Amino acid sequence: MPPKGKSPSARTKTDPALLRASREALRPTLQLAEQIYGQLDKGEIPRMRLPLRTKQNIQFNLRDGVWKLGNQTGVRSARKLDGALMLLRTFWLVDFIQEMARESKTSTLRELYYISEQWEDAKFHSEDESNLLVEDLEVLCERLREDFRLHPEENGASVIGDLTLEEVNRKGIKKRINCRDDVGDGGYQLPNNVEKEKITFRGTGAKFILAIECGGMVDRLAENGFDEEFQALLVHLKGQPARSTRRFLKRLNEELKLPVVIFTDGDPWSFRIYASVAYGAIKTAHLSSYLATPSAEFLGVTASDIENYKLPSDKLSDVDVRALKAELSDPRFNTEQWKSEIELMLRIGKKAEQQSLAKYGLNYVTQTYLPEKLTEMGVL
Amino acid sequence: MPAKRTLAEELASRQREISVAEFFERNRQILGFDNPQRALLTTVKEAVDNSLDACEEARVLPEVSVEISKVSEDRLRIAVEDNGPGILRREIPNVFGRLLYGSRFHANRQARGQQGIGISAAVLYAGLTTATAAHIISKVPEEPAAHDLELVLDTAKNMPRVVREDVSLWGDKERGTRVELTIRARYQRGRQSPYEYLRGTAIVNPHARIILLEPDGTRTTWERATTDLPVLPKEIPPHPHGLELGELVQRLRRTRSPSLASFLTDELSGVTRRACSEVLTLARLSGREAPASLEGAAIEQLLAALKAASIAPPSSECLSPIGPMLIKRGLKNVLGTLRPDFYAPPVTRPPKVHSGCPFVVEVGLVYGGDLPPDQPIQLLRFANRVPLLFQQGACAITSAVAGIDWRRYGLEQKTGALPVGPVLLLVHVASTKIPFTSEAKEAIAETEDISREVELAVQSAARSLKLHLSRRIRRSMAQEKFAIIRRILPKLAEKASGLVERPVPDLTPVITRIMDVVTVESQGGGKDPEAASDRYLLELTNYTARLRRLEVFLEVPLEALAEGFSATPAPASVQPESGRVSWEVMKLDPSARTRLELHWPKGVALEPSDIDVYVAGVDDAHLLGADPLPGDWDVRLPAALVEAAENAESAPEKLSPDEEELDYDATERKESVSQDED
Repeated sequence: MPPKGKSPSARTKTDPALLRASREALRPTLQLAEQIYGQLDKGEIPRMRLPLRTKQNIQFNLRDGVWKLGNQTGVRSARKLDGALMLLRTFWLVDFIQEMARESKTSTLRELYYISEQWEDAKFHSEDESNLLVEDLEVLCERLREDFRLHPEENGASVIGDLTLEEVNRKGIKKRINCRDDVGDGGYQLPNNVEKEKITFRGTGAKFILAIECGGMVDRLAENGFDEEFQALLVHLKGQPARSTRRFLKRLNEELKLPVVIFTDGDPWSFRIYASVAYGAIKTAHLSSYLATPSAEFLGVTASDIENYKLPSDKLSDVDVRALKAELSDPRFNTEQWKSEIELMLRIGKKAEQQSLAKYGLNYVTQTYLPEKLTEMGVL
Repeated sequence: MPAKRTLAEELASRQREISVAEFFERNRQILGFDNPQRALLTTVKEAVDNSLDACEEARVLPEVSVEISKVSEDRLRIAVEDNGPGILRREIPNVFGRLLYGSRFHANRQARGQQGIGISAAVLYAGLTTATAAHIISKVPEEPAAHDLELVLDTAKNMPRVVREDVSLWGDKERGTRVELTIRARYQRGRQSPYEYLRGTAIVNPHARIILLEPDGTRTTWERATTDLPVLPKEIPPHPHGLELGELVQRLRRTRSPSLASFLTDELSGVTRRACSEVLTLARLSGREAPASLEGAAIEQLLAALKAASIAPPSSECLSPIGPMLIKRGLKNVLGTLRPDFYAPPVTRPPKVHSGCPFVVEVGLVYGGDLPPDQPIQLLRFANRVPLLFQQGACAITSAVAGIDWRRYGLEQKTGALPVGPVLLLVHVASTKIPFTSEAKEAIAETEDISREVELAVQSAARSLKLHLSRRIRRSMAQEKFAIIRRILPKLAEKASGLVERPVPDLTPVITRIMDVVTVESQGGGKDPEAASDRYLLELTNYTARLRRLEVFLEVPLEALAEGFSATPAPASVQPESGRVSWEVMKLDPSARTRLELHWPKGVALEPSDIDVYVAGVDDAHLLGADPLPGDWDVRLPAALVEAAENAESAPEKLSPDEEELDYDATERKESVSQDED
């Protein structure tokens, strides 16, 4: 018989505070249950309304300077199989969260996906479905998934440079770390939770943050001593940055007043990395004011860089071209500067990697390209 | 001194007659003997076609067996035996040992063989490639014993030569003919094999029992699906529109009619008295002339007038189409193991005329089951009930099928090619004269009239396919709805009720809202008469929000209604002659269900797919698992029923609120996930 997750040895003492907190976070789901019960009682098909997290439904919020969800909504209805399943799963998920709170446990998103094996017909068919439902719950309850005791797997960025912070470690002890002197070559790795109760900043010698897409480029800059020579804090984004990385950048920017500069490959996907850091991502638009750093600037590689620096390049694939065209209709890229960059890339039909700058030698990026670009941007 | 021969005399001395047989010896591709594989098929085909033609003429249900055995690496022995009327001793040598000798060449009616070339050509080919004689056994029922002959074809003279002769009892067989030939050939299965040929033959000749014994010992029997022999086509005189000048001259010389007028009305098809006087006026002839007295110019005028005058099309009594019912039976009988999802109602077009010859196009279409979904459709072409296996690309049937826009009917297609999908398409052209592209009779030549008819017939079957496909989509949507109401909704109600700590409400009203159909589910029956149930159960459930009054009609095979048939509750009517059984369901409340049950006599094996179910009293959009009553049934429905159906159609239910709104779970949100990682 498969274990049901309730064997006596696994049981932990219930912490009433935790249970209260999770009940409080889940309060809107009780209202949802009331609503659906009422519909069933009246002979109506169960349904709920949710704001759409689509490209067409994000709006620029002037006050916060970020892109947030607009007021278009869609209906999740038990008339369709998908809708009926998602409604049912919502209640299974609520049960699961309560159970975790009772047992003082947390789970990763991936574990949630596998937990649903116990949900009979309502089990998830893909991890996309489970991730989407957790986001739906965030939207419905206006809470973060951490409030529901759910978190992603560790995939936070690494930081190299003169930043001193205090992290509360697993044993509950505050540990002071300098991200240049107290870490190995890999730098300081961000935990999932980068909130104040976990991390506090204690001082920095850096003048700006350089957030970099690829690990190879972070290593190059570190080896060349770029962080010390130019008083920079290097943050490795690891492709599309995780929520914790974006939250960390926002805190550094707000609390230490450090300008954020984004340095990526020159292709349509990298543009989206920038957009999610600066403006917020479409599917987390309900969290934009918490995650986005509107003042972040894009350094390159730009389409003009490919031309001006005569960088070795690849031809745009069909998928690249489609992605660029999609960006032309993405409200986040609706500025003169972005439009002309995207159109230029489409016109020349080329893309280039950050590391293609090695064409001119290993020091070129730190001695020539970055100083030139940063001066042009007014950061240096 | 002898006179020196002139060049002309020199050349003249080398001129001599070429016998027909010698001609075909050199040009064997014309008759379909150009390579060993083809030679095997042509040999089988010629012998089988002759057997079937002979049986039908003698009004005998054909039983034809084909045995193929390996003699050596490149030699096969082919024996074809039938239960036909047999051949008189004096005719045997000519039938098998002489080209262009036959009984059907001069007959103006539908038949498989016509020219009297086929089987003799096979005998010729056997002699040519293996130097063996043909072995013939034949018995007519009027004689006590069978004639057993070996003969060869003398190519120089185009005459048979009997090399051995005997009389035997031939077991106790009453009648029939067996021909055995040894030819150079190699045995293969697959496309263009005797197996394919006989399978096709079995489909379009459901009255025949066909047995194939292959060299490896595999024995296949295609049992007959009907005991009704096809109607014997009648011989009719030639039709003016197909008449050529030389033929007209010959007929005028040979006729015994005293006057031109009587020749025209008696010896040509479609020429009525009125048409006759129109022809004579146009040709400026009186009609009193002796036919043989007409000369060149007058005959040409007469022919022109015959073509110009308005003449009725020829009678189609000279044709014997298979008919929709037997096409379906033939397909089911032979393709049953593929378990197709759908047999389109077969199409038999009304007779039409091409160059004076009547013809009929018939089409059958099968969809799904084990047919490959990603290959071009299988096109089975037939001419006068004979499968055409070669030169598919050159055939008018193929180009007509490929010329149809199949995307409109739900199949994928590259423009101008055969469509792709799990479809088997049967096209049969029957005519007194099929315009083949060559004497090998493998492809029908492009003629506008035939192509147009093929197109119309195939389109009609394709429309049925489209209807089936859209019904299938509705069925899968319904399955989705069943999943919701049976598995998801009860659980959702339980969870929501648990959270609000109240009892689970009655879900019936919600269920009817989600489903909004009347469902008809059937079960019972079976193929195996021993194990199968003799019971057929029909369950109707009203998943709509209003009370329904329904009338249910079944169309069952006639044998099910024989002595021993019963039904509960008692049907409103049973018509044993048409196979129709009907019930009235006076009152079916929302969410209520009712059962109808049939029992048929022992020994009858029926599957649910053999029974067609029709329901009146609910419109097509709210009916699942049955069809609305066909318009041509001419059933008078109670006024209340008609009114209810009309009301349902004229006043479509108002869309519920969430049908007008954006479906949250179907928005592009899902796409954006892959682009914008968390």
